[in-house]
Amino acid sequence: MPTTVGTEAQNADARGGSATGSVEPVLVAEGLVRSFGSLRAVDGVSLRILPGETFGLLGPNGAGKTTVISMIAGLLQPDEGTVTVAGVPMGRSSVEAKGHIGLVPQDLAIYPELSARDNLQFFGKLQGMHGRPLRDRVAEVLDLVGLGDRAKEQSKKFSGGMKRRLNIGIGLLHQPDLLILDEPTVGVDPQSRNAILESVEALSGEGMAVLYTTHYMEEAERLCDRILILDSGQAQAEGTRDELIELTGDADRVHLSGSGDLAAAEGAVAGIPAVASVHRDPHALDLTVRGAPTAIALIVNAATGAGMKLSNVEIRRPDLESVFLHLTGKALRD
Amino acid sequence: MRSVLAIAEAELRRFLADRSNIFFVFIFPLVLVAVLGASFGGDSASARVAVVGGESALRSAVVTQLERADAEVTITGDDDMRQRVARGGADVGVLVPEEAARAFDAGQGPELEMVTGSQSNAQAAAQVVRTAAAAATLRSGQERALQAAATSAGVDGDIDRALDRAGTSIRPAETQVRDTSGLAQELGGLGQFDLGASSQVLLFTFLTTLSGAAALIQARRDGVVRRVMAGPVTSVQTILGLGLGRLTIALFQGAYIVLASRLLFGVDWGNLPAALGLLLVFGLVAAGVSMVIGVVADNEGLATGLAVGGGLVLAALGGCMMPLEFFPDSLRPVAFLTPHAWGYEGFAEIQRHGGTLLDILPQLGVLAGMAVLWLALGSYLLRRSLARAM
Repeated sequence: MPTTVGTEAQNADARGGSATGSVEPVLVAEGLVRSFGSLRAVDGVSLRILPGETFGLLGPNGAGKTTVISMIAGLLQPDEGTVTVAGVPMGRSSVEAKGHIGLVPQDLAIYPELSARDNLQFFGKLQGMHGRPLRDRVAEVLDLVGLGDRAKEQSKKFSGGMKRRLNIGIGLLHQPDLLILDEPTVGVDPQSRNAILESVEALSGEGMAVLYTTHYMEEAERLCDRILILDSGQAQAEGTRDELIELTGDADRVHLSGSGDLAAAEGAVAGIPAVASVHRDPHALDLTVRGAPTAIALIVNAATGAGMKLSNVEIRRPDLESVFLHLTGKALRD
Repeated sequence: MRSVLAIAEAELRRFLADRSNIFFVFIFPLVLVAVLGASFGGDSASARVAVVGGESALRSAVVTQLERADAEVTITGDDDMRQRVARGGADVGVLVPEEAARAFDAGQGPELEMVTGSQSNAQAAAQVVRTAAAAATLRSGQERALQAAATSAGVDGDIDRALDRAGTSIRPAETQVRDTSGLAQELGGLGQFDLGASSQVLLFTFLTTLSGAAALIQARRDGVVRRVMAGPVTSVQTILGLGLGRLTIALFQGAYIVLASRLLFGVDWGNLPAALGLLLVFGLVAAGVSMVIGVVADNEGLATGLAVGGGLVLAALGGCMMPLEFFPDSLRPVAFLTPHAWGYEGFAEIQRHGGTLLDILPQLGVLAGMAVLWLALGSYLLRRSLARAM
């Protein structure tokens, strides 16, 4: 069972509503399970998202994030569990439920031969929009994603960042109740990435519920009201950033980089009582440590004594990376 | 229905937005119609014959007979004759060897050599040459026989003038040489560009639609199809839209060639509803095959290879590169395994015999059967592939 920090009522209250009162969740996913052959890709994941909330699904590559959102978007039938969007049950032929969702997939799912405007108009028509309202909304979205002056250009001529923005614009076009963004900043330059993050911040301000999957903890920390940490298909913990960090017992993160016998050093530092967890990379050890400033000398001595040649030692305040390390014993980037 | 139309419209827009299509879709088919019409279209009024050989009685006799048959005769050298025939400057080349000339002088049957061109009227010209040669030999034989008879009767006179006088003193029976072969009758009523246009409309409609398989693979690979299905669209609507998209491309290509060839070359397409109906059903077959390739091939390169290779082979087998009428009997059953052969027959009925929709019902029926088969297979494979990709 995942660690749930804070109550739904508290979280709803924080946004001016009540989970038991008038504010209905936009998304309710209960006990989602999906296997591919012998691999249980998603194992009992549940989540709820309220209007105006940005909900983060944080986990390393292969954690099951895309499988979860495929089930939520009605693209994949869960083996077990249910999904309800805006009060409508979701299934593969649930046209009505799908209409409440705007999906921004990780792939650049646009027609490269078509212009930005034609792409938007095509997806708008699929959403049942047409005529002047469609044209006006397309113009609005083009401005919103900063492509107003390149509207007639074939999208294959766009930079990676521009394609990403168009990809997001398509998801926004029909003003869905729930916007699902699957790793929207993968392969994007820092400037475009920042523009995308600002857009997402603006959307939640407008009352749209956002489900944001990422393996970048900085993005989850910056954008998300609540975060579900996913690993190996299982929910590890759910809560606000601060609530999740509390799970580490306020442990610091210590990063030892260097060479030599890292395996022996890992064993040596793991025996120190202040060390809560250790993760070994080819050239570094990542530790979660309670009271790192006082324990650091002991840690350094243990590591060097076991044959590790240290080139750098860092003590960091706890963050979501620390939480992930604490919960799974491995680094998020893995 | 709006979703289906939106998907089909997007497929056509993608097709038109691809600039590499401009040449192969708009220009190349018409160039081929023009080239085929100019090369093989039977438009020449008289046979053009290049004659090679030194001055001899035989050459003079043959040339005289050719000119009587309204042939355009050019006396030239061996190399020039061969070049003329190869380049279409002459329909037939005739070599008058010295041996043949001597044999002719000696009253024996001369043996002429003939080089025939590839133009459609070359065979007719060759026949003119054969007739002229036979007439020349006959005339010579008659002269010789008369000479011998006069000599034995002790009569002296101008045999040649006697033969000419005999020719004018009585009204000769008019012998009309009519080519009664099925081929001549079959192709007889066609305009210069008609046959090329109908075969090219089949070839390019099929080829272009098959090439659209690569676009289907690209859309699946890029996740666009997945995104479409994440919208309020059912899988049936998606498949219908993608199928209709392929059909729209087929009809666009076909209608373009019909219209442009009519305007530029005056091609007579006969009964228009019948021609368009045939094109529609043929396009459905192409759409089905395109969907199958778009699912079976796992990359665009393979799909393009299959589309171009398969499209050309089927076109060749189906009579789009050489008229079906020239096919040996052993190959014809194979030809009719292709949709092209049925399309060819349908157009032949419409263009050559003034056929209507009713007259091409057999061809439409077979093509409709093929279309159902391929579209069902394509839809099944696409649906299974989409389910897996989700």
